[in-house]
Order: sequence, then C-alpha cells, then structure tokens
Amino acid sequence: MTFKDFKTGMGEFFTEFGKQKAGLVGAGILLLAILMVIFQPLLSGEYSDVEGNWRNIAYWEDGSPAAKPVWTNLFASKKAAPGMVLEEFELVDGRSDSFRTVTYSFVYNYKHDVAPLDIIFRAVGYGTAALELTITRPDGVVLVLPGVVEQNMDKSDYRYSVETRARNAMVTWARRIESEENLRLTDTRSVRPPNVIFAKAEPGILRAPVALKGEYKFTMTMSSNEPNARLEEPHLIMVGRVSGIMGTDTNKRDIWVGLVAGMKWALLIGIITSAISVLIGVFYGIITAYFGGKVDYIMSFIFEIFISMPVLPILIVLSATLSPSIWNIIGALVVFSWVGPVKTVRSMALQIKEETYIEAAKALGASHFRIIFKHMAPLLLPYSFAMMALSVPGAIIYEASLSLLGLGDPSIISWGQLLQGAVNGGAVLNGLWWWVVPPGLAIAIMGMTFAFLGQALDKILHPKLKTR
Amino acid sequence: MYKWYVLNRLVRGVVIFCLLMVVTTIMFNSINEKLQRSVINEQVKAEAMRLKNVTPEQLNAFRMDREQQLIRQFKLDRPLAERILHQSFRAITFQFGKSTLIKSSTGSDDVRTILFEAIPRTLFLFTTASVFSIVISISLGLKKAQKPGGRLDRSTSFITLIVSGIPGWWLGMMFIMFFAYQLKWFPAGGVLSVPTPTGFKFVLDALWHLMLPLFTLIALGFWGGSFVIRNIVLSILQEDYIMAARARGVPENKVLFGHTMRTAAPPLVTMVLLSILGSISGGLIFEGIFSWPGLGNLYWVAVQTNDIPVLMGNLAITVGLYQAGLVILDLIYGFLDPRIKTGGKA
Repeated sequence: MTFKDFKTGMGEFFTEFGKQKAGLVGAGILLLAILMVIFQPLLSGEYSDVEGNWRNIAYWEDGSPAAKPVWTNLFASKKAAPGMVLEEFELVDGRSDSFRTVTYSFVYNYKHDVAPLDIIFRAVGYGTAALELTITRPDGVVLVLPGVVEQNMDKSDYRYSVETRARNAMVTWARRIESEENLRLTDTRSVRPPNVIFAKAEPGILRAPVALKGEYKFTMTMSSNEPNARLEEPHLIMVGRVSGIMGTDTNKRDIWVGLVAGMKWALLIGIITSAISVLIGVFYGIITAYFGGKVDYIMSFIFEIFISMPVLPILIVLSATLSPSIWNIIGALVVFSWVGPVKTVRSMALQIKEETYIEAAKALGASHFRIIFKHMAPLLLPYSFAMMALSVPGAIIYEASLSLLGLGDPSIISWGQLLQGAVNGGAVLNGLWWWVVPPGLAIAIMGMTFAFLGQALDKILHPKLKTR
Repeated sequence: MYKWYVLNRLVRGVVIFCLLMVVTTIMFNSINEKLQRSVINEQVKAEAMRLKNVTPEQLNAFRMDREQQLIRQFKLDRPLAERILHQSFRAITFQFGKSTLIKSSTGSDDVRTILFEAIPRTLFLFTTASVFSIVISISLGLKKAQKPGGRLDRSTSFITLIVSGIPGWWLGMMFIMFFAYQLKWFPAGGVLSVPTPTGFKFVLDALWHLMLPLFTLIALGFWGGSFVIRNIVLSILQEDYIMAARARGVPENKVLFGHTMRTAAPPLVTMVLLSILGSISGGLIFEGIFSWPGLGNLYWVAVQTNDIPVLMGNLAITVGLYQAGLVILDLIYGFLDPRIKTGGKA
C-alpha cells in the first residue's frame, strides 16, 4: 500500500463518514471532550490544581457543603447568594514610628434573598499582630466582630471564619433588635451569623430575617508594633448557598471540577482498554481460524473458559487483592474483555483463509507470520476499529462499577468515584440530584458518543449493514 | 449421532466448570487460608478459656496441641498443590461449610441455605424483566424490520444508541431518588415490607416492591434486543421463499409470523436464554442499589464482610448455573439444527 493509496482511502473514508450524521455528532462530542481534557485548568477556575487534592479535606475547607448549582437561582423564588472570592481590596497603611495599623477593605454587593453560609477572611500572615474584622452595612450600622491576636505568624495561612468566631457577638447585637416574643421562640444556638449580618435591623432579625440588600464593606484591621508584621494575598470568601456550575457535595467539593477532571480518566480507561483487548481478540480470532485443527480446539476451549466467567464478581475479587491502581484495573479489564470480537473475527477469518490469494501466497512459500500480518490482518483491522469504539462504553461502565464498590484508584478522580461519594453521602436519600445526575449523565454521554462513532464506522466498513 | 454430541457437550461443560473452580480457588487461596487460620486461633482461644485448674505450662501445651490438630483437620499442613486440590474439590461438590458472618433470613449460617434463599429472588426479578423486555423487543423489532429506514426504525435505532451507554444502576439511583423519595410512590428497596403482610396483601406488597427495579430493567433492556431482532428478521425477509410466499398472496401477518419467525426462532432462543443466563449473577450493583437480596447483592455483602465461604459458594453456583444453561442451549441447538451435531460446517 503506497502513501497515495492511503490518501485516497482516507479521502473516501472521510467522504463516507461525512454522510453519517450520528457519526459526525459522535466525533463532535469526542472533540469537545478532548478539548475539555486539554483545557482542564482553565475550566476548573480556582481549583485548577485539583489533581491529587480531591481527597484533601484542607483543600476544600472554604467550600460550601451540599450547595445547589448556581443556575438553580433562575428557578428559585428566593435567590440564594452564590459562592465567590473577593480579591480586590483597598489598602490603608497607617504607620507611626512604633506602631502600624493596616486596613484591608473589601466591598461586597449583596443583592440576594438568602445570605451566604459563611464569610471567611484568608491571608498569609507574618509576625505578631492583632486582627479585627468590622462590617459596615448599607444602613450605616457598623458591626465590630471579636478580634484576635495572632502570635508569631511565620508565613502561615491565616483564616478567620465569621461563622465560628462571631456567633455570640452577632446574637448579642440581634437580641437588642428582636422582639420579646420571637426571642422566646428562637433557639439562639442555631443562629447563623451571616443571616443576621445580611438582615434588616428590625424585629424578626433572628426568627425570620429579611434581606438587607446593598453594598457591604468588610474591613480587616491589622495592628502591630512589629515592623515586618503583614498580611499577604488577603481575600474574602463568601461561602455560597449555591456554588459552581454543578454544585458541591457534602464534603464541599465542587462537582463540576470533579467531572472535568474525570473526563481524561474515562477516556484513558475506555480507549486503552478497548484498543488493547480488541487487538488481542482480533489476532486471537485470526490465529484460531488460520491454524485450525488442534490449535483451534485448544484456543476455542480457552476462549470458552473466559466467556463462562462471571466478570464483575471476579473483577471485584481481583481488584480487592491487587492494589487499586488504575493500571491494574485496566489490566484486569483487558483480561476479561478481549473475548468480545473473537467469535465474529474467527468466522470472518475462516472465509478469508479460503480465498485464492492466500493459497497463492502459501504456494509462493510465504511464512505463517507473513500471511497473518500481511494478508489477513489488514482486511480485519478496519472492522476492529468499529469494534474498539463500540467497546469503549463497556470499559467505562466497568471502571465506574468498580469505583462505586469502593475499589477504584484513590489517586485519580473518576466519575464512578463521584457516584460512590454520592451513594455513601446519602445523595439519593436526601435528593441531592446535582451530585447524582451529572456523573452518570457524563458516563451515558461518553457511551453514546462512542456508540455513534462505532455505528458510523461499522456502516462504512460493512456496507451490508446499511439499511436495506 | 446425537448421543455422542450430547456426551461430548456434557463432558466439556463439566470440565470447564471444574477448571473454573480450580482457577477461582487459586485466586482465593491465600485469603481463604488466612481466614481459616484466624478461625482456628479463635476456636483454640475460646477452648483454652474454658479450661480450669491448669498451670500455664499445661495451658500452653494444650493450645499448641489443639492448634496442630485443627490445622491437620483443615489440611493446612499439606503442600500447596494438595491444599488447592482439596479446596477445589470442596467447591466442585458444593461443600462450602459455614459462613463467617452472613446469616440467612432464618438465622442459619450454612452457605447453601443462604445461597438457595437468594437464587429465587434474583431469578424472580431478572427473569420477569427478561420476559417483558423480550416481548417488547420482538414486537418492536418486527415493526422496525417491516419498514427499514422508516421513521420508527430510524428513531428507535437512534434511541438505542443513546441508551446503550447508560448504566442500569445509575438509572436505578435516579428512579429511586425521584419515585421513591420525591413522589413516594414506591419503596426505596427490599423485597418485602417489615412486618410482612399476609394473604392477598402479601402478593400486593411483593409486586409493589418489584415495580421500580423491574421498570428500570425493562426501560433499558429492550432496546438492544429489538435492534438485534430487526437485523435477524430483516436478513430473513430478503430470502427468496419470503418473496415467493408474498407473490403467492400469503397475508403479510402470516409471512411474518409463520415464515419469518419460524426461521428466526433458533437465534431468538439463543438471545432469550443468554439474556436470562447473563442475569444469574444478578446485576451486582443493580441489586445493591435496590437492596434486593439476591445473588448479586450477596456478592457485594460477601466482599464487604470478607465472607470468603459465601463468596466462593456464590461464584460456584453462578458459574455452575451458567455452564448448565450453555450446555442446555447447545443441546437444544443440536436438536434443532442437524448440521451442528454431525460436526458439519454451518
């Protein structure tokens, strides 16, 4: 086959492929998936270094637990505050000879009905300093939250959570406003400080707060007598009631980030497993058919043993004894899925074997190796491409099944693991649909994509199957 | 020479079953023996506790003796090959002994009792689903084959491709979330309510529990089947004798059911039997999601509780039933198609 033949062959193939609508859709989605893999850091936003941190609790500390996706606000009558990070601040450096006071002011425009879950101030701190957070509300009230003195910060992460530090202060302030009757009915221990901070100062602030919309100014004041005491990279995090494109799980992890990160593993597992196992299966089928006789008998027997094994139970036992690494999982999947194409390939190879040009090759003294690889395999390989595409979904589903049983590779993020988290986290029971739907849908769409591709390839390479 | 064909097939089935049991025994051997040793340790410890008025030396001697005795009894002192053969033999003859943790609903810890309790539940769910799926597949497949390339054919083929990648257990999760927890129409899992009602209400209760998993299985089950049946029927409809029948003026329904379906029967039987056989091990995760206490769920529980006797027993039963099914399928086929039993080329 010369390069020119190859070029015309490919040209014909693509003209044919262009006529397959489903195939084009499949190719389009696959392209989109590959783009998603390439641009993963871009798509993951602030969590671009998620790889290796998926199970790191500290990494997700500032997220919101079990928050709905942001777009659910479109359908909600009461708009909830989305999670966001305020990085722009105004710096006022008041310095005297022995004492310095630095303020970092953030402006937050609150225009929702349900307050954020928490407000967190974060910075990298140096030296010893007294820190105090004050909030200036749109109605002019200035709330001073309890301050702290941080000793000898040495480039340490400084975190101030309003939820944990300011509850008593906020309740004390709200008590003066709230009516007697409401106070009697409310358990002040369950009050969330942000609800009070973002509520109108009128009776009902504890029991049924009404949102006070407008510009809030959060000012962190740092006072210190050390010349090198400072806060670097200060930012203010609004822990949202709704968060991200796909919401978060109960461990505060962003599901969209997990989905995007899982894409490459799904593609990797699916494509590698199906490519290797289909190649093995095709050559197994060819060899069985070509040699016939005893070889055929023994190889068919081995094939029969493999198809009689209950795959999932044995896979589970295998993965429970092997260390749960992604390569072990792919290996185990290959061991059980190479049987797929054997039967069809064997029957096709039996026909090809009888062709006269094979006979001619034999008469010319061609070796078995040459006949198998040069004369038989090229005819059957196109068929195997369709087979590969069609067996990708199976591999992805098997990996998801193993992960769902807790046997996945803990160093990666796969869609099956997202679903395992959902099952163990009670997502089904509590109706956290944004945790259950996207990973499964992703698996289904990937399966559909490869089914489309496989079907299109099959139709092009097997004209017989076209609608008669 | 049908009897030689039968004998050949039977022997091959038995050999494959035995081989698979040996393979699985080898896979489980190390973990199984670790488990047996810990059982022996526990037993010796318990027996030593019951001894009274003995010196520490006597106690130690007793423990050593007893341990050696039990190790000999379980044949743990023999060479590896013999241990594996011994274990495989027990698996092949369905002697699984007692479970380590799992109990049957009557409280028995005999592995066989546990298994025989689970088999009917799995068969009940998956066979019912298969029957419904196949009926729908056949009627849809025939409709598709009558007008190939028509609107119905194309749209259902398209849906088949879309559906092909959906994991059944995920759809189950969605249905549970929506129908069981949101709308509260169906229970979220299990086979029967606790306490179990009696009489006619028992039947209703069982049906009520069956509905959701059954519906999930059917909703995904019939698409692929209808596509296969369409292709089988379509290839038969191209045959000359169909054209001849139509030319003779045989009514279309008779052509379809009398001529076509009769020829399509053998591959259809294969499809039906294989789909039922495939469900013997149960949707392992599917049953787990629906808390359906069948064989599949038993796998999950056995793996999680490290109950190796139950796991081995489950594997043996699954493989055994599957092999038996394949043998029966081949025997039926050999009976239907004389070319196969004489060894001629199809």
